[in-house]
Amino acid sequence: MSTDTPALRITGLVKDYGDVHAVRGIDLEVRRGEVYGFLGPNGAGKTTTIRCLLDLLRPTAGRIEVLGLDPRRDGVELRRRVAYVPGELRLPERMTGAQLVASIGRLRGGFDRRRRDELAARLGLDLGRRTRDLSSGNRRKVAVLLAFLAGAELLVLDEPTNGLDPLIQHEFLRLVREVRAAGVTVFLSSHVLSEVQRAADRVAVLRAGKVVAQGTVDELRGQARQRVDVWFEGDAPGAELAAVPGIEDPLIEGHRFAAVVSGPIQPLLALLARHPVVSALIEEPDLEDAFLDLYGEAS
Amino acid sequence: MIARSVELVLGPWRASWRAGVGWGIAFVLLVVSTVAFWPAFQGSSGISQAIDQLPAGMLQAFGLQGFGSPAGYLRGGLYELIVPFMFTAAGVMFANGAIAAEEEAGRLELFLAQPVSRSAFMAGRTVAIGAWLVVLTAIVLASQLASDAAFGLRIDQSRVVATIVLCALLGALDAGLCIAIAGARARPSLVLSVGLGMAFASYLVAVLFPLNNVLGPWRHVSPWDWALGGDPLVNGAEPWRYVALAGLAVALTILGVAAFGRRDIRSA
Repeated sequence: MSTDTPALRITGLVKDYGDVHAVRGIDLEVRRGEVYGFLGPNGAGKTTTIRCLLDLLRPTAGRIEVLGLDPRRDGVELRRRVAYVPGELRLPERMTGAQLVASIGRLRGGFDRRRRDELAARLGLDLGRRTRDLSSGNRRKVAVLLAFLAGAELLVLDEPTNGLDPLIQHEFLRLVREVRAAGVTVFLSSHVLSEVQRAADRVAVLRAGKVVAQGTVDELRGQARQRVDVWFEGDAPGAELAAVPGIEDPLIEGHRFAAVVSGPIQPLLALLARHPVVSALIEEPDLEDAFLDLYGEAS
Repeated sequence: MIARSVELVLGPWRASWRAGVGWGIAFVLLVVSTVAFWPAFQGSSGISQAIDQLPAGMLQAFGLQGFGSPAGYLRGGLYELIVPFMFTAAGVMFANGAIAAEEEAGRLELFLAQPVSRSAFMAGRTVAIGAWLVVLTAIVLASQLASDAAFGLRIDQSRVVATIVLCALLGALDAGLCIAIAGARARPSLVLSVGLGMAFASYLVAVLFPLNNVLGPWRHVSPWDWALGGDPLVNGAEPWRYVALAGLAVALTILGVAAFGRRDIRSA
């Protein structure tokens, strides 16, 4: 299979459950070797989309290619090259973690025992306990371990850090960076924005079954509104400031000017350069702001 | 490839281990305790005569004809209702537990995300269900033959074997029906109600329809009649009875496997 083909290409994906339109026409492409964040709140259609990739759901319309393969026609070969952490995770209750790993290993043609033990140690997971005796976080660690143990070309991770403590979330992000460096593609679905912000090269934001934005994290961040707070030597040039494009909620009090800027900040910086400024505070735009803005726009 | 195929069978087999052992113990206790009363019953002609005086329809409905003979005793005590119904219940429970209940609980997702086809996955579960029914058949057979020898119940062993195999095939047929339903819909309540309901309806048709001249000929639509309508403990069984039960079980299973490959998999 050519490595020129994208890791994932979704075209016009629609999935209906009777009268419920879970996914309403998604188009996106994930390049090989990148970490792609798939953001959206509960019910946005993330899990439905992901389950279509694995052929667990059959799309109502649209086309999916995973590593150049059709999920319906080439499902076995596709799943050999893809590892998956389900969002709604249910494990066989009477098996220990080690037994489950061995069982999945037999279905996948065998696992590296040393790598298994290394991953278990890094995730702080006791594989000797029955899965029904594990907390939800520890059960998720089992699924994360299985995904990273599979040696897959593409990891499809649906809310993989749900229930994990911050230390293990940090370790998880290290694992993501390691496999990315080894050329593995990661499709990371999450509603934890900081996690995506730290791990993803590009992101798509989903709302009500549609992609409402996609691009690099920086591009998305560039769409976010930024809060500025400026002190001038003299009075703030109110009329000029009010005329700057993208200025919202301006506050002009003597020497001080505060506002929210949406879109490019360059016109404001050009104006400030023409005036004596004592101090200027421009908050770094956060992906969360972009995310919330997008949701505001879409709703 | 071989390890994968073996795991597709052994995984669900191991998961049903407790249920399988439970059914096995129940069958052994039932068979041994029933046969253990044969020496006392054999020596008491009064009970046999009292049963023979019941109305003919009641004797027929409850399989009590010739209750004083070894074949009549086993038929009335075990193989008219209890053993075949236990086999059908076991078939329904195994099929529901391995497929519909697991899917409803969301536990199939992790396995179906591995490099296995839906048909191979279902075939593995079907073989595991069939293997448990074979084990239970062997347990019933062994406990019946051993009890017969221990308690002096003299009966043609080939007819005992035929009867037990037919009961097991009745269970396999109901398991096949449940696999067909579970393949089409992930609804354990539907699988259980249709599976157990069919077993019960099939029994009623087989034993009650013959009591009515109009309905009598329609008893042959009942798989229960295919299995036990010829009184195999007394007469043995014609080959078509095995073929009909096994053939329909296989056909229903194939339908279930095909349906499973065509639909969405339910998540938790």
